[in-house]
Amino acid sequence: MFSFDPYSPAVDADPFPFYKRLRDDFPCYWSEEANIWVLTRYADIVTALNDWRTYSSAKGNLMTELPNRAGATLGTTDPPRHDRLRGLVQRAFLKRNLEGLAEPIRGIARDVAGDLKDSAQFDFIADFTSKFTVRVLFAALGLPLGDEAVVREKAVLMVQSDPRTRTKGPEHIAAYTWMQDYASKVIAERRANPQDDLISHFSLAEIDGDRLDEREVLLTTTTLIMAGIESLGGFMSMLTLNLADHADARRAVVADPARLPDAIEESLRYNTSGQRFRRCLTRDVDIHGKTMREGDFVCLAYGSGNRDDRQFANADVYDLARRPKGHLGFGGGVHACLGNAIARLALNIAMEEFHAVVPDYARVQEQLPWMPSSTFRSPLRLELARVTSATAR
Amino acid sequence: MTRITFIEPQGAEVEIDIADGWTLMQAATSQGVEGIEAECGGSCACATCHCYIEGEPAAHLPTPTQTELEMLDNVVAARLPNSRLSCQIKMAPDLEGLIVRMPEAQS
Repeated sequence: MFSFDPYSPAVDADPFPFYKRLRDDFPCYWSEEANIWVLTRYADIVTALNDWRTYSSAKGNLMTELPNRAGATLGTTDPPRHDRLRGLVQRAFLKRNLEGLAEPIRGIARDVAGDLKDSAQFDFIADFTSKFTVRVLFAALGLPLGDEAVVREKAVLMVQSDPRTRTKGPEHIAAYTWMQDYASKVIAERRANPQDDLISHFSLAEIDGDRLDEREVLLTTTTLIMAGIESLGGFMSMLTLNLADHADARRAVVADPARLPDAIEESLRYNTSGQRFRRCLTRDVDIHGKTMREGDFVCLAYGSGNRDDRQFANADVYDLARRPKGHLGFGGGVHACLGNAIARLALNIAMEEFHAVVPDYARVQEQLPWMPSSTFRSPLRLELARVTSATAR
Repeated sequence: MTRITFIEPQGAEVEIDIADGWTLMQAATSQGVEGIEAECGGSCACATCHCYIEGEPAAHLPTPTQTELEMLDNVVAARLPNSRLSCQIKMAPDLEGLIVRMPEAQS
């Protein structure tokens, strides 16, 4: 009998056959293992994203939520509280306000890519994305240098879940606690010595005359660090995996970097790292012959909506010329990813500089080790071998 | 379902039916209407789903929020009194017959 368990390592490795069966035969599916409804069709997900009154985020948005986080972050509040929180941080993430970051990001990308110039084979994640994303985030948030490697390790660990217990394991909770302590020190330091950076503004901000409560400042900062490192790095590895696997697309973007944005959008559609998020129902909903009850949790499988043939023709084909509109790679509606503009900017620059040093490459591992996570999907290692005219012969 | 007319940047008129609760932006992008980029995904954080609203049903539209008004300062094409962000307009039956004209450019 068919079953879909978002904690299964088989789903981490390849969720797409499961999604297809769900879309075609069980468009509103109750996952016994995860205790959650699963919506997989594009139209149903968009409808849910629009209707935040019914599909509430206030009880958490991660499939396996971190303790005491719901209600204190952008992703885990509903309007109007959400809109006011977002108003405080959004300005820093608007495209027009990111222009000043382009040159520093390029400098970081050149520096990190430069270290690969003599490497015939390397792990793209350890040797490129990890170093790049953590330094970009530190530059964007104005974090003090020195702890980059540990911060990255904890950010990656805190988004994972245990496939056996279907919950966060002690190591994941410990990483989350560590990150809160780290964020707390940064906030205290910024309050003592305010600078013109996001965390200074945010930690001193008031909404309608009220200071944000400590939990909001702390957990929003913690989430920004987690997303900036883990989500950006995770997606960058998926994009590069796609380019490694699709030689025509790779050659096209290397020959003409102006086509990189097409690859970024198609990869966001084809295999976004943010595969599944959850909502909690505030009323009963009838859909596809089922009744989902008030108080039930619902998984919105963005990764499946993006592969729905009802929306995207030949959805399982990676097509550089597709230029998909309305994909769910950054979610959608009021909770669409705050970092979409900085992510696009950073990805574009990083890949340009990476390709300048490694213009042709192939995947080494046949089977990839996938991160155990009910929410996100990306490999833990991505070994690439440089292809030269000598090796190609 | 409510029928809306979009006028694409090159002048082509496209009529589409939109489910209640969907935004003009989502309906247009998901049904292949030309002229909307919607980079931010509908969170009112860019200005690339700019449109001009015309026709009598426009009177039924809720007024733009402060965030939308601020974001409209960033549109690339001319900002007119009927400029709106299409991600902020949710479909409802009283909007039947609305005309949505796309600007020449979004970015």
